[in-house]
Amino acid sequence: MTAADVLKPAGFPGRPARLAGRLPAGIWLSWLHLRTRRVPAGIVALAVCGVLLRVVLHWKSSSDPLQFPLIVEAGAAAVIAVTTHGPFGEVERATGRRLPFLRLLAAVGMCGLAILALQLGVVGESLNDGILALARNVIGLAGLGLACSLVTGGLLAWVLPLGYMAFCQYALTEAWSAPWTWPTRPPADRGGWIAAMTVLAVALLAYTLRGPRIRPSDNA
Amino acid sequence: MTVLSVPTGGSWLLRSRLLRALWLEFKRSPVPYVLPPLALFFYYDAIRTANGYPPVWTLRATVVSHLVFSFSVAGGGLAAWAGAREGRRKTVDLLATTPRAAWSRLSVALAGTLGWLLLAFLAFTAVLYVQTAVQATSGGPPLWPVFVGVASVTMATVLGFTCGAVFPGRFTAPLVTLGLAVLFEIGFRESELVRASSAGRRPSVNHALPAPGGAPLQVTVFHDLSYGTYALLSPLRDPMGVDVGVYHRVAPDLSIVQVIFMGGVAVALFGVLGLAAGLREPGSAGRWLACLVAVVLVACGVAASGTGFALTGTAQPVRDVAGGWEIPALHSAASDQPVAVTPDCTSTPGFQVCVAPALSFDLRTVAAELDPVAAEIAGLPGAPVRAEEVATLLRGKTVMAGISGSPPVFKFSTDHVHTVDTLLDGATSLAGWRTGFPQGLLDAFLAGPSPAAGLNPAQQAVEDALLAAVGAQPVALLRPVPASAQEVAASAAAQRFEALPAGARHAWLTTHLAALRAGKITVAQLP
Repeated sequence: MTAADVLKPAGFPGRPARLAGRLPAGIWLSWLHLRTRRVPAGIVALAVCGVLLRVVLHWKSSSDPLQFPLIVEAGAAAVIAVTTHGPFGEVERATGRRLPFLRLLAAVGMCGLAILALQLGVVGESLNDGILALARNVIGLAGLGLACSLVTGGLLAWVLPLGYMAFCQYALTEAWSAPWTWPTRPPADRGGWIAAMTVLAVALLAYTLRGPRIRPSDNA
Repeated sequence: MTVLSVPTGGSWLLRSRLLRALWLEFKRSPVPYVLPPLALFFYYDAIRTANGYPPVWTLRATVVSHLVFSFSVAGGGLAAWAGAREGRRKTVDLLATTPRAAWSRLSVALAGTLGWLLLAFLAFTAVLYVQTAVQATSGGPPLWPVFVGVASVTMATVLGFTCGAVFPGRFTAPLVTLGLAVLFEIGFRESELVRASSAGRRPSVNHALPAPGGAPLQVTVFHDLSYGTYALLSPLRDPMGVDVGVYHRVAPDLSIVQVIFMGGVAVALFGVLGLAAGLREPGSAGRWLACLVAVVLVACGVAASGTGFALTGTAQPVRDVAGGWEIPALHSAASDQPVAVTPDCTSTPGFQVCVAPALSFDLRTVAAELDPVAAEIAGLPGAPVRAEEVATLLRGKTVMAGISGSPPVFKFSTDHVHTVDTLLDGATSLAGWRTGFPQGLLDAFLAGPSPAAGLNPAQQAVEDALLAAVGAQPVALLRPVPASAQEVAASAAAQRFEALPAGARHAWLTTHLAALRAGKITVAQLP
């Protein structure tokens, strides 16, 4: 018996034939792309972040309303960054021209889901600075994660958002107000929003066009 | 063939198979790549914070907790990354065929990561301590904060590594980092609440101890304590006061139980790692023995951490050390005895200023602040001839300031003029802290029989005038605007009094000082 004898001609594992038949090819392709990036597990991780934020705000809301949300927001951004990693490496990049669109879709969608999950987590609790600051921080931190994935690859892209969070903890303590430390700025502050949006826009553009760093052997 | 079966050779260090494997892990560890950001963070957070503190050993040693946070959180994440390596590279089954047990293989990887982290942690701590040693005028480096830091970094690293090895997913490392950051932050905030209730940020009762020959010493009694065990187990805490450890040794009881607790958690998690590895590779040699050892380690770790937790619950605040705790089962009476202090004094003629040797770095500055005011009131009834620094805590009560004895001596503590927060908030506050000394001296000199009530408007006007006369900041300028009509009148009286010649001020005070202290002089009666 050879390896060829045991190969089955029918499709890929995990692809129900009846489901594939019903769904348009684009949606099916998107779903496969998201699955290879562990996006469903990432959504669960974002939900965990939302629950964690709620628990922290419920128990510790009086102690420090700024530091805890920032930690959880950085965690959500780290989850987004980690979902940029794909298992196929260079091979996948030779399969067509739709990959950049799929990367853009996944990154933007995960950013939106992160904001939604965290916002749902704080419903009924007192979140200092409100949803605006939460959205701005997640956007900026996710941009850092995407940018980091260009250098380190997706699996290690969590390092920069969480490192920046640690730095901003110090900036909050010292009451720094430079725009590049946007988590320390008020929610409606224009400079903070410009900095966070610029980071996301540049990182998203580069990530969409280039994708995360991959190694030929994909042994990150 | 594995690295452990390669014939030995080369230097004596590399001849040991274990050391060769450890050397490989050292070379492959991700920690060195994170050291530059950690060094940057060390400079911005720890070094800058330490530079804002006076060079007192106990105070500067609290900055080690800044390192504990960054190294524990980052170390946990990096260890989770290292622990997930076999799962991430899908080599679990391949490595299961090697003769060594999975636990020993993972232990070497863990040791490589932990070794890098502890080396870096100790190196950064050494930089901090060397800087303090150059500036400090007395005392030596406290080692218990370092031991607690090592235990905390070890616990976080073992926790992260075990999580990574057991759940080798891509989300493990960031989620471990996130969880550790939340845990340490909660512990830090809880410890701040303990400080607020134990060190007296909210005084509830004021007392005045009678002292012969002058104004009484003002002391304050604080709230009953309410704290959580978790807060005391947190290795992160803010400094409690400038002179902590200067007049009384700090008992290491709390540090000991923290090390026991965190060490126990680390040992238990290491056992869990061995158990998981042993169960994952059923065919490996010595599987049952390894599992048995792992179970024993888990039991020992749980027992140690449980003991540490239970002991922490019995902690009682120490009377003479702000923020100090004693554990009755561990406490040694010799560990918190008063330190024999021979004060350093200024040698200039006239008004003499004395401080503890550990605080003598600031002797000239304090003397320069006090001398002009002391000269303004020299020769007046009850005017001090000497200023002497005393411990902030006396028999469990906070000493604020006062003039007592014959000849009168102005006794002050580092906390009496400004709250310690002002000093500890940053380097720029040091100047503000020093300028409070002249005001503190005049407060004690002009206060009536109830110093806790503060100065009345006439006393305050005289104090402002004397402060302005020596070039210090009058209190009236510190008030928010708009001022009340009474404050405006007091300010005008202060300006009138300041405009008098020094001799006229002195003569008026000689005549009217007793009435001024008794509160019988009004603002309108000031010349």
